[in-house]
Amino acid sequence: MFGPLSISWASQVKASRSLYRWVKPIANWYADASRYRQFGFKYDDLLMEENPTVQRALGRLTDRQAYDRAYRLKRASQASILKQPLSKDQWTKAEEDTPYLQPHVNNVVAENVERQKWDNVIVKRN
Amino acid sequence: MFAARVSAARNVQRIARRSFATVVESSGVKVAAVDNGGPTSSLTVLVKAGSRYQPKEGVANALKNFAFKSTAKRSALGTVRESDLYGGILSSSLGREHLALTAEFLRGDEAFFLDVLTSYITSAKFTRHEFEEYVAPLIENDSAVAHSDPAIQAIELAHAIAFRQGLGASLYSPSHAPLSVTDVKEYAASVFNKGNVAVIGTGIDQATLSSLVDKAFANAAAASTPSTASTTYFGGENRIPAHGGQQTLFIGFGQAGAPSAELATLAAHLSPSPSVKWSKGLSPLAAALPEGSSVQSVYLPYSDGSLVGLLVQGSSPAAVKEAGKAAVAAIKAASKITQEQLTSAVARAKFAAASDIDTRQGLIATLGSKVLSGSDASAASLVSAFDAVNTAGFAKATSSLLSAKPTFVAVGDVSALPYADELGL
Repeated sequence: MFGPLSISWASQVKASRSLYRWVKPIANWYADASRYRQFGFKYDDLLMEENPTVQRALGRLTDRQAYDRAYRLKRASQASILKQPLSKDQWTKAEEDTPYLQPHVNNVVAENVERQKWDNVIVKRN
Repeated sequence: MFAARVSAARNVQRIARRSFATVVESSGVKVAAVDNGGPTSSLTVLVKAGSRYQPKEGVANALKNFAFKSTAKRSALGTVRESDLYGGILSSSLGREHLALTAEFLRGDEAFFLDVLTSYITSAKFTRHEFEEYVAPLIENDSAVAHSDPAIQAIELAHAIAFRQGLGASLYSPSHAPLSVTDVKEYAASVFNKGNVAVIGTGIDQATLSSLVDKAFANAAAASTPSTASTTYFGGENRIPAHGGQQTLFIGFGQAGAPSAELATLAAHLSPSPSVKWSKGLSPLAAALPEGSSVQSVYLPYSDGSLVGLLVQGSSPAAVKEAGKAAVAAIKAASKITQEQLTSAVARAKFAAASDIDTRQGLIATLGSKVLSGSDASAASLVSAFDAVNTAGFAKATSSLLSAKPTFVAVGDVSALPYADELGL
């Protein structure tokens, strides 16, 4: 229900300027408060990856992106073992927290939807 | 006598019906169509984007394999499924000078298939994941197939040493080529422009095709055409080890400049292939070939160069050596041709040229480049070029061809295969 791949109002919020101005500070506060940045994560690192869709999207990362992601996951596991956040200079900055995986996931989802459409198409010749 | 003349006139008509009488430019794109009355149509988008124009090895092959992947109009899956529903066949093929995207389909579906072909030219997306997931395996497969066939290897290598740059560039990608999707995208941007494209239709009306092409290329880029250095012939010798296949020799000669009817006649004259099944053929070369070896004549004309030669194949190096000696002797004797031999060679070359354009692929391969370059694209001109071939002209053309350095390639067991001088070249 909740999480990066669930229903999102982000595009609607972004479309309205006044709404965006109200919601953005809350969103920023929420992102910081959820503390994933203190463990060096990006938001897209939290995507549930145990499904074929996200696995396929992960395969589309560039080599550099894949190495960086693996590094962040390892560093965060180490921090988790130590039961403390990373030192402050290693926290993810807000501007670094970019959706590097989400667009690929969206593409894969769109491809799957299209495949379904073609699998169930009803042909009418006029 | 009268009956013979009538049938000759009918033949000319028949040939004319197969040729592109008119080449029209619609919105900067050359369009040619011929309606031969068959139940199916085909469209070919011919682009001057062969391997001779590629800035980096293997890019042209990648561009060929990228065809029918996602564009702004439809995804790769959509292209395949929709073509399936129409019952059409999509294919792409690469030559040294041209890239051809072809669709074959039932009459009446031309609007859809032209859209499929042109959307690759005007709005292909060239996504990185498609390159890695779908295109890279195709490129690798092409290279693997070429690598496993000694005849292809010999011809590729012969081009490389005969012409070096330009026409010498391989049609295939080298294994582990550092090729990225950006290279392909840049190459596509440089070659996919209006002046560089011709649309050729068979089984379709010229006016219909012109209006469709007009719409399809309305907002296509019009940039300069890619340039390449003009061809020079070098020649030389090269040997590459190969295992498992047939022992192969290529003995050939090349020439810069437009291909001439004399060279096509020479190829027909050298060809030992019999005109009747299960016979050995009448040529002196066919009689001299040892058991287990074969010789094919190779004639590869390009816009500003041509390669003529014999491809000798056999199961053992000894047989290939003997066959190679016979082939060299036949090539050397070619300039001392008798009138009867020339008449028969001209007839065979004429038939080969005329029967080439019987098939769709042959028609596009032969006349497509003429459509693109704006020269006479009629089938009659193809055949009538042979009328001017005479003994003196043939002897002159042949001796000037043979005075150049030969191109000699050996593929197979290089320790046992002969060198050029051992065959008397």
